[in-house]
Amino acid sequence: MSFLRSRAPGPAVRSGVKVRPVGPSFGLRVGLTLGVSLLALWVCAAAAGATLPEVLSTMLEGALGRRTSVLATCAEFAPIALCGLAVLLPYRAGFFNIGTQGQLEVGALAAVAVVLQLQGMPPWLVGPLALLGAGLAGMAAVALPLALKQGRGASEVTTTIMMNFACILLVHAMITGPLKDPTAFYGATPPVPGPYRLPAFPPGGPHLGVGIALSAVLVLHVVLGRTVFGARVRAVGANREAARLAGVRVDRVTVTAVLVGAALAGLAGGVQVMGVTLRVAETWSKGWGFTGISAALLGGGPAGVLVVSAIFAVLETGAKAMQALTGVPAALVYLLQGIPVLVYLAVNSIRPGHALPDAPRSDEPTGLESVP
Amino acid sequence: MTGHVIADLALSVLRAATPLAFCALGVLLAERAGVLNIAVEGMMLCGALAAVLTGVLTGSAWLGVGLACVVGALGGLILSLLVVLLPADQVVSGIAFNLAAQGLTSFVYKVTVVRGIQLIGPDTLMSLAGAGAATGFLGSVSPMTYLAVLVTGIAWVFLFRTGPGLLWRSLGDSARAAHASGLNVRRVRVFVLVLSGVLCALGGASLTVAWVRSFTDNITMGRGFIALAAVYFGRWHPLLALLSCLLFGLGEALAFRAQALGSGINPFYLLMLPYVLTLLAVSLMGRAVGPREAGRPYTGG
Repeated sequence: MSFLRSRAPGPAVRSGVKVRPVGPSFGLRVGLTLGVSLLALWVCAAAAGATLPEVLSTMLEGALGRRTSVLATCAEFAPIALCGLAVLLPYRAGFFNIGTQGQLEVGALAAVAVVLQLQGMPPWLVGPLALLGAGLAGMAAVALPLALKQGRGASEVTTTIMMNFACILLVHAMITGPLKDPTAFYGATPPVPGPYRLPAFPPGGPHLGVGIALSAVLVLHVVLGRTVFGARVRAVGANREAARLAGVRVDRVTVTAVLVGAALAGLAGGVQVMGVTLRVAETWSKGWGFTGISAALLGGGPAGVLVVSAIFAVLETGAKAMQALTGVPAALVYLLQGIPVLVYLAVNSIRPGHALPDAPRSDEPTGLESVP
Repeated sequence: MTGHVIADLALSVLRAATPLAFCALGVLLAERAGVLNIAVEGMMLCGALAAVLTGVLTGSAWLGVGLACVVGALGGLILSLLVVLLPADQVVSGIAFNLAAQGLTSFVYKVTVVRGIQLIGPDTLMSLAGAGAATGFLGSVSPMTYLAVLVTGIAWVFLFRTGPGLLWRSLGDSARAAHASGLNVRRVRVFVLVLSGVLCALGGASLTVAWVRSFTDNITMGRGFIALAAVYFGRWHPLLALLSCLLFGLGEALAFRAQALGSGINPFYLLMLPYVLTLLAVSLMGRAVGPREAGRPYTGG
C-alpha cells in the first residue's frame, strides 16, 4: 500500500474512490505529540507559577546533572521499561494487560520473601531464585483474568484492574502482617540483606536490573520481529480468526504472551526491590506499572518502549529537583504520562480510511464461513 | 438497637452504591448505543475534584455538582472526538483518558494543597434533611442517591418503553440498520458520550460532595471499573445494573464497618472485599453477550 503514501498533486482517482495519503507521517506524529505535550506543560507550569524553560532545565539538571542522578535515572528506567514490555507483548497478542502495577507489587513481595527465607545460602543462588519467584508471582496475578478471558470471554480490562487493587491490598496486608519488619514503625518488610542486593553491572554503574531490562528489550525486539513465535503473536493480535484458520494455535499464543508479559512485570518489582528500594513498604511504589502502560502505548514496539521509558525515567527523577527549585508539584510528571498518549492516539488515528464509502465490515459474510 | 445498626448499614450501602449507580448508568447508556466508555474512571475523578473544589471555593455543594456536570460533558466530548470522529480504539482511548485524568486531577490537587486550600466541602448534600437535623431514615439519605435512582428509572423507561429508546438500542445492536433508518450515527454517539460523561462525573461528585467531602489522589480507587463490572453483571439492564451496584456497595460498606468495629482481621483484607466480590461476580456470571456493536467503531457514511 506504499503507493498511497505518495503525495501526488490532486486526489488520485481509482475506481471512483478518492484516495488520500494514509495518515500523517511518523515525524509529524511525534512532532505533534511533543508540541501538544509541551503546550500542556507550559500551561500547567504557568498555573503553578513557573515558566516552561525553568521547569525543563531544572528537570534535566535534576535527572542528568550529576553522576548519582544519572545512576538514579537508569535505575528508574528499569521497572518502567520492563512494565512497558509487560503491556506491549500481550497487547500484540490481543490482551490489554492493565494489571501491571499489581503484578509488579506481588513480584516485589515474592522476591523479598524468597530472599528472607533463603538467608544464609550463597547470593549467586538466592538472587536468581528471588527473581524467578518475582516472575512467577507476576504470572499468578494474571492467571485469573487470563482464565476468565479465555474461558468466559470476560473483558480483561475490568478483571486486571480489579486484580491490581486486590494485589496492592494483599501486599499491604502482608507487610503489616506476616512479613512485617518488627523494628519498623510502619508497614514494611525487613530490608534485603547486603549480600543479596543486586550488584552494580558494569561495576560502578547502575544495578544489574538495568541490564536485565535492556536485554529484555533486545530479546523481545528479536522475538517479535524475527521469529515464528513473533509472527504468530502479530497474526493473533491482528486477526484472531484469520490466524486460527491459518493454523495458528491462537489460545496457546495468547496464553504464552500474557504469561511472559506478567512475568516481566513481576520481574520489574523484583529488580526494583532488590536493587533500589530494598524493602516493600507502604507507598513504596511510584506507579511504575501505570507508567509502563503509557510507555507501551507511546512506544508501539520494543525499541519505542526503550526510548519512551528513558524519557519517563528522566521526568520521574528530575521531578523532585524541579519541585524543590520551582515550586511546581512533582505530580506534573503524571500529567506528562497521560496527555501525550491521548494526543498520540488521536494523531495516529487520523486516517482517511473511514471516509471510504461502504467499507466491508468484519461481521459481514466473507465466504470463509464454509471453511471447516 | 439492632434496628439502628441495620439502618446505619443500609445508609452506608446507599452512600457507597450511589457513585457506582451513576457511573454504571453512564456506561450502560453508552454501550447500549454501541460505544464503550472505559474512560469512566477518569471522568469520575474529574467530576469528583471539580465538585469538591467548587464546593469549597463557593460554599455551595449544588454548584459543585453543576460544575462537575460541565467537566463531565467536556470529558465526554474529548472522548467522542477520539472514539467516534477519528475513530481510535475505544479501549485504548479510554485507558489513555484515565491516565491523563489521573495526572491532571493529581496535579490540580497538589496545586491546591500548595496554595493552602483546605479541601473539606460543604455538607449540604450529605443528607436530604440537612446536616444535624433529626429525621427518619429517608431524611438521612443523600439527595444524590434519590437523583441516581430517579435517572436510572427514567433511563429504564426511556430505553425499553419509548420509540427513541428503541432507536438508541438499535445503535448498539446494528449501527448500520440505525443509519439506514435515518439516524445520524456519529452525531448521536457524540451526544451519548457527552451524556455518559455527565453521569460519570455525577458519580464522582456524589463520591466527594455527598460522602467523603474531600479529595485525595486517585480517590475513586477503581470504582469506575467496578461500575463497568456492574453493567456486565446486570446484563446491560438499568435496573439490574442498579441492583449490582447495591451488591458491590454492600461489599464496600461491610469492609468499612468491619474495620470500624475492630474485628481483629487485618483491615487490608477487608478492603479487598469489593474487588474480590467484583472478580467473583465476573467469574460466576458465565459468558455475557452485550450490545453487538459496543467497542466497534462506526466506519460507514
